[in-house]
Amino acid sequence: MENDEDESQDIDDFEEIVESAKEIVVPGETLTEDVNNFIPGRGAIFNRNKTKIISLSIGLKQVRKNYINVIPLRGFYTPRAGDKVLGIVVDKNPVKYRLDINAKDEGILKPKNTMKKERGRFIRGAGGRKPQQQDMAPSSTEVYQIGDVLILKVLSADRLNSPELTTVGKYLGKKMGGTIISIGPYSIPRIIGRGGSMIKMLKNLTKCNIFVTQNGRIWLKGENIESERLLIEAIEKITNEAHTMGLTDRIQEFLESEKKKRGID
Amino acid sequence: MPLIIKDEYPKKLFREDGKRLDGRDKHELRPIKMEVGVIKNADGSAYLEWGNNKIFAAVYGPRDVHPHHLAKSDRGILRIFYRMATYSVFERKRPAPGRREKEISMVISDCLEPVLFLELYPGTSFEVFIEVIDADGGTRCAGTTVAALALADAGIPMRSLVTSVALGKIDGEIVVDLSGIEDKAGQADLPCAITWFNDQLSLLQFDGDMTLEEMNKCLDLAPDILKRIYEMQLNALKEKYLKIREEVNKSEEIATEGGEQ
Repeated sequence: MENDEDESQDIDDFEEIVESAKEIVVPGETLTEDVNNFIPGRGAIFNRNKTKIISLSIGLKQVRKNYINVIPLRGFYTPRAGDKVLGIVVDKNPVKYRLDINAKDEGILKPKNTMKKERGRFIRGAGGRKPQQQDMAPSSTEVYQIGDVLILKVLSADRLNSPELTTVGKYLGKKMGGTIISIGPYSIPRIIGRGGSMIKMLKNLTKCNIFVTQNGRIWLKGENIESERLLIEAIEKITNEAHTMGLTDRIQEFLESEKKKRGID
Repeated sequence: MPLIIKDEYPKKLFREDGKRLDGRDKHELRPIKMEVGVIKNADGSAYLEWGNNKIFAAVYGPRDVHPHHLAKSDRGILRIFYRMATYSVFERKRPAPGRREKEISMVISDCLEPVLFLELYPGTSFEVFIEVIDADGGTRCAGTTVAALALADAGIPMRSLVTSVALGKIDGEIVVDLSGIEDKAGQADLPCAITWFNDQLSLLQFDGDMTLEEMNKCLDLAPDILKRIYEMQLNALKEKYLKIREEVNKSEEIATEGGEQ
């Protein structure tokens, strides 16, 4: 299990909305005219005269207490601090790496964020060793090469500056081999499923190693090419049918029948 | 020897039974067909058939601005590329973008800008490519309508959709949705577009001669006509998802029936 399930709150939202509300809304569509009892939440705003709440994008309508939200079905990735992303090194100079992270700006990775800082053991007084150069983080970009695939965490991001990234942390770092596929960032919750149910099922049935990141990219590596191909087809099916109900059961059926057909064990 | 065809238009633009040359009533639209998600590599895309007009629109963004000097440090920019295919009109159109294309790109861009939250994406651009494959009057209106659909399909936050239609005067009568011949041989042409979040006109151009009363009459007529096209836009956007949902439900029903037997 490589995926953290810390974003389970978001995922539960998505599952719930697909199962409860079936309504698909488009930009500018009126969500409610009862402005006294409802407040616009995610993906919704008041109109100019505050007489109704309207949707901002194409998505599924959700009512939660007195908030009205719209969970988008399509869109682009906007980096936020704490996100795990899959990036590819596209450029480097002695000061920093630049990574393609599927956002409008390239991510910046500085050498000090590529290695854990190890404090030199200081013993106060005479004979104490001063921290040596090799104990410090590397001062130059020699760890990764252009074209490397990295799992990173976003340290800081805003709308003006390029997001800053780090490879220090659990599950972070370079990925060797495998295949990368790209899907929309808003389909990711469905790939993971409620409490990680979908991704567990995918892993068990195809015996592939999967890593899902929040910028809409998936890294996968299987025992053979056939199972990888089957997994990619299953993921395509999930993204295509993200707004329908009972998806996990349907994907399980699909995988089992396809495995029999293709003779994968 | 080149084939020379004179520009000859019929003297009357109404038939004897009171209908227009293509058999429409005065306030009747041409048949419209819309579809979204037609171009796989674009972030969002749409296709529109409006009478004989056939138009594709593709959206990319937010992304870097090239040339870079066009970028604004405080907000994003919306760039529209309205282009006509060489074979889209009767006489071959030269492929280089001319004065007309640049102007239409500019007016469509100004028309769509109010619905986007460009201030949230400083230093970037949204690019919309409108390709007219077949033209028969009213392509700027059709282009605006399809561009709004493509933007919504890309998942870009928008205040509302934008809908556009041309009204005009032929043989002294107010009509809606001018075709190519009516546009050239008619007396006046009034393309207009509406943004639905404030119900205000976002594009209004005028060509020809018309009294002020006639213009007011046109503008009174416009909202009803635009509403009809707006309904089609909403259906086109939802259809993409509802279709998949229906297919899934159908296949599940078959599966359960099979299980019972």
